[in-house]
Amino acid sequence: PPQEKGIFINLDNGELCFQSAQCKSKCCHRHDGLSLARCTSRAAENQECSPLTLYGTYYRCPCESGLHCDTDITIGGSITNTNFGICIDRNEKSISD
Amino acid sequence: AEVCYDRLGCFTDNIPWAGTAERPIAKLPWPPEQINIRFMLFTRQNVLSYQEITPVDPSTISASNYKGGRTTRMITHGFVDKGDENWLKDMCKMMFQVEDINCICIDWKGGSRTSYTQSAQNIRVIGAEIAYLIQLLMNDYNQKPADFHIIGHSLGAHCAGEVGKRIKGLGRITGLDPAEPYFQGTPIEVRLDPSDAVFVDVIHTDAAPLIPYLGLGMSQALGHLDFYPNGGEQMPGCGKNVASQIVDIDGIWEGTRDFVACNHLRSYKYYADSILNPDGFLGYRCPTVEAFEAGNCFPCPTKGCPMMGHYAPQVRPATNAEQFKFFLNTGDARPFTRWRYKVTMTLIGDRAVKGLTKVSLYGVNGNSRQHELFKTTLRPDSTYTGYIDSEVDVGDLLKAKFIWNNQQLNPLLPKIGVKTLTVQRGKDRQEFTFCGSGAVREDVLQTLTPC
Repeated sequence: PPQEKGIFINLDNGELCFQSAQCKSKCCHRHDGLSLARCTSRAAENQECSPLTLYGTYYRCPCESGLHCDTDITIGGSITNTNFGICIDRNEKSISD
Repeated sequence: AEVCYDRLGCFTDNIPWAGTAERPIAKLPWPPEQINIRFMLFTRQNVLSYQEITPVDPSTISASNYKGGRTTRMITHGFVDKGDENWLKDMCKMMFQVEDINCICIDWKGGSRTSYTQSAQNIRVIGAEIAYLIQLLMNDYNQKPADFHIIGHSLGAHCAGEVGKRIKGLGRITGLDPAEPYFQGTPIEVRLDPSDAVFVDVIHTDAAPLIPYLGLGMSQALGHLDFYPNGGEQMPGCGKNVASQIVDIDGIWEGTRDFVACNHLRSYKYYADSILNPDGFLGYRCPTVEAFEAGNCFPCPTKGCPMMGHYAPQVRPATNAEQFKFFLNTGDARPFTRWRYKVTMTLIGDRAVKGLTKVSLYGVNGNSRQHELFKTTLRPDSTYTGYIDSEVDVGDLLKAKFIWNNQQLNPLLPKIGVKTLTVQRGKDRQEFTFCGSGAVREDVLQTLTPC
């Protein structure tokens, strides 16, 4: 059954959003401060990511489930939502270290 | 009734051209002067600005960069569209990155911006004009019919068929979502058909019936190879809500075009994307889309699958007589490429639990996203099969990762894991087997390494 089509919730990738909770992917992404935000897939392993924040939209999506956004969180960065990291799999890292 | 134009011959509105169930309204094609057909030549020497050539004045051709002894590709647009629309010249630009050709964008907006029934007749004059130009190019520039390839979108696809009827042995015709009204169910002399060129390939992206689904493209197979990406009727990324559709990444104009005919336009977007990504559009031969989704037509035969789009001629089925239907899945935005894998896994765990499983693939060229495989009751020691259309061509696989979850509380903290996982690559049938150790709780990644 097709999931209910939402204007404001359950949005597909590519649809305009202002809050990540609206998106099926749970990531409302914008390229820069001036561009429109659209729902996009969350970041895969080894891709750039931003840690989960309270803001509605992201310059980089948070990681897919099971992955961790490895970034050195700086106070300044968390305010401007511009500290980015790379998605890593901590389980695997601990095994191979 | 009949009308005749010098250089191009006579055109009637007798049956089957009109007065049939498929073509109730009779119209005669307009004269070429009224349509004002324009041929815009691009070559590697003039990639950004075109040189206008016309068969009426051959000096325009000798003064241009047109050269014999190499392929000539001609691109024609469809109803309401125009020749200097971006997608035509962008397609030429991409082709120059991979080949040295004469690329001619044909503009006939003088005959396409009128009633549809008139436009559907006008393409006969445009087809005759293109054939006249090809005849001239063959005489003066020692070109052979096989050197010509016509790419037509919507009505432009049937216009290419008209050219093929006049130029015996035309090299290739590519129909991009050939128009349905006034053509579906008509005899082969009216519409595009396999006899119109040595090789005819077609991409169907809006094949739902006109009534009630407003499908503008034909569902009927028309060529030697007919591709039905995503089943041919509803393209991914075309179901966006109104605001998101119109305010497109490429701007309001492209967004408005997509709002009006998103599925219909996807055909030329897929073709353009295929120029620079040859193996990203492999077509799997299958009788129906249901059979394809169920996995009956996987993997490719040993000879390989044909590639939808620019490189379709490279892998040809044995006989030319039959018509073949091919299916594949594409992305929802550029790049539209996808690589298909079959995944078979045997699970272990302490108890059965309802859940959704995802797998991500890791190879020498990178790793893919987590792809949903199936949502069912996960029973230990049971084997499950699913298909992944990866957005990344990961190359030879090194490992895979498994994760499962369900949207409910699991007080008993169940654990599910993969004992063995086999991934088969569609394009060359190669298999990769991985094993996991133990089981994992919900939302915890399990790494599967070569056994």
